[in-house]
Amino acid sequence: MSASVTTEHVLNALRHVQDPDLHRDIVALGFVKNLAIDGGAVRFDVELTTPACPAKEDLKRQCVHMVSALPGVTSVEVTMTAQPPRNAAGGARTALLKDVRHIVAVASGKGGVGKSTATANLAIALANTGAKVGVLDADIYGPSMSLMFGIIKAPEINADKKLVPVTSRSLKVVSMAMFDEGEKGVVWRGPMVAQMIQNFVHNVVWGELDYLLIDMPPGTGDVQLTLTQNAPLSGAVIITTPQDVSVLDAKKGLRMFQSVNVPVLGIVENMSYFVCDGCDKKHYIFRRGGGRRVAESLGVPFLGEVPLEPEVAEGGDAGTPIVERRPGSPAATAYKALAGAVASSLSILGAAQAGLMESFDLQWEEVPEP
Amino acid sequence: MMIPASLHRLGDRTLLITWNDGRRSQYDVRDLRLACPCAACVNEWTGERTLRPIQVPETIRPVRIFSVGRYAMGVHWNDGHSTGIFGYDYLRRLDESSNSGVAAAPDAVKP
Repeated sequence: MSASVTTEHVLNALRHVQDPDLHRDIVALGFVKNLAIDGGAVRFDVELTTPACPAKEDLKRQCVHMVSALPGVTSVEVTMTAQPPRNAAGGARTALLKDVRHIVAVASGKGGVGKSTATANLAIALANTGAKVGVLDADIYGPSMSLMFGIIKAPEINADKKLVPVTSRSLKVVSMAMFDEGEKGVVWRGPMVAQMIQNFVHNVVWGELDYLLIDMPPGTGDVQLTLTQNAPLSGAVIITTPQDVSVLDAKKGLRMFQSVNVPVLGIVENMSYFVCDGCDKKHYIFRRGGGRRVAESLGVPFLGEVPLEPEVAEGGDAGTPIVERRPGSPAATAYKALAGAVASSLSILGAAQAGLMESFDLQWEEVPEP
Repeated sequence: MMIPASLHRLGDRTLLITWNDGRRSQYDVRDLRLACPCAACVNEWTGERTLRPIQVPETIRPVRIFSVGRYAMGVHWNDGHSTGIFGYDYLRRLDESSNSGVAAAPDAVKP
């Protein structure tokens, strides 16, 4: 006679499986859902905080391993699902963003460091994990997301006079480039730009998204301030190149986010090195280690180096970012690792900030008495 | 990184903010209106406060309070003023300098 399997047996076994980021077991975290036991067949879901969890496969393997070791268990079926914690930050008035779980700014101090390329590749890398991803190109004067994704359509306006993002692959994209007829360029003063940014935040039907990436314009000016006040940012990723002139500006960008309480998820060093196709040697063209140094000196995580590869630029110009064009290349691998790092630091932040009043909008009479 | 953990109203003219580090800060709403940091209330170049206490009646009350990004609280007042953004850092400094803050002991504030 075989031992009968109980819910308790299974849960006790699963208590040995820990989430590597949150440092608690998956039962205590409430990740185990829909547990069904039919004789020796055990089925359950593990609901992670993000579909982009880098430890997903490892956790699944551990779950199967732990449960199949129980006496009486003949088969184990684990479904990995995800329900990221809701974005709770800022601006309760932004009704159209209410189903967007995390808004992440991709920023730099200096221009030309590959922010847009990083945004496009990060977006595809996150989407490839099963997450719903949107991209807002906030670089009003130098929009490039349409080119990066090979989009030639303009967004539609729906019956409520709201903007519907253009869908490319599974991504929802809005860019100023979509409104720039005939490549005239945008020649606007600050207040017009601020207004357009507010439009992008308040009047776009983003729908349900796990991540909305914002490709920021370079610098620390109008657009950045408008966004930090209007869009409830969950965090920012700072892109730099290795040389001092870029690192110096990256520091300024980083301080700007810190001054408005937006957590800096980390620094990425782009164009770190070039691998020679003749000798396979890494050439550090723009000096070495600048990104790591600034991350260490400012106490924020260093998220990695992305090598300089001609194919990255080719992919960008052709509308097929490198993660899609050549997924096995060193740059694509670096972007995929970056996506994992961003996803896990957002879950950690979400867990740490649960229960804080990040977002409120109350009439004075509605403020509760203790 | 300072963020309110909870907001309460004590009577009709005191705002109580419990911060994420446990400190509790109380603000009389008229004092808060008088401390408005916006450009209409403080000269941006000299830092001189242009708003005079006589301009703010005892009946001043917030109409609405709301978060601004992740770093500040905005207030719309019943005198029509709405341009003030109170950074959380600024609110903490106001409390710490006036010493009206209540220690973080859980029973320090009697409801």
